[in-house]
Amino acid sequence: MPASYEQAITLTGDLHARPAGALAVAAAKFSSAVSLTVGASQADAKSVLSVMGLGATSGQHITVAAEGPDAEEAVAAILTILAEATRVGA
Amino acid sequence: MSPDPRVGIVLVSHSATLAEGAAELAAQISGGTVAIIPAGGTDGGELGTSAAKVQRAAKLADSGAGVVILPDLGSAVLTVRALLGEAGELPTPVELADAPFVEGVVAATVAAAGGADINAVLAAAEEARHARKL
Repeated sequence: MPASYEQAITLTGDLHARPAGALAVAAAKFSSAVSLTVGASQADAKSVLSVMGLGATSGQHITVAAEGPDAEEAVAAILTILAEATRVGA
Repeated sequence: MSPDPRVGIVLVSHSATLAEGAAELAAQISGGTVAIIPAGGTDGGELGTSAAKVQRAAKLADSGAGVVILPDLGSAVLTVRALLGEAGELPTPVELADAPFVEGVVAATVAAAGGADINAVLAAAEEARHARKL
């Protein structure tokens, strides 16, 4: 049965092109659908251009949601990338 | 164990530096695991396109999972189409993407880095036309 799972994080840096790429590559490894939500904007985490189009910046809350058999693992992996890649100076 | 082969990308531009720069950018964003081969300019180094350069690039880009070719404008499209029209000129499978050059190569390369097959890489490139920057 497909599970859904979500968790939020506050960005400590801007979501630039490189972290957006790393995030989309990581999201592609999961069979679950993965989305990112910032305010009223939502992006497909598997689409790098969609992720960049969020224009997410430091201090914003970003919600990672996944639906599918590996939803919890997918959310954990994306949160790790967001925490690492948007760290100040990364 | 070596990872599964990735779809390769060829950038065909009138300008060698434009093709090289777009390849450099896409490699940075996608993490450097995908072959992105620029084929820009004429054989003499002028602005224009070269069938021979496209053929060499496609051969280099092919690691067994196929090649997606992104042209910039006009005769870049015609040069690739002429090669596609002759059997054996390009590796197979090969697809010509109808996509914006910069957004298309970034989307295609990230999809390829994630292990997408040639049809999914082509779709990612072509969906790039709908992506909003703002």
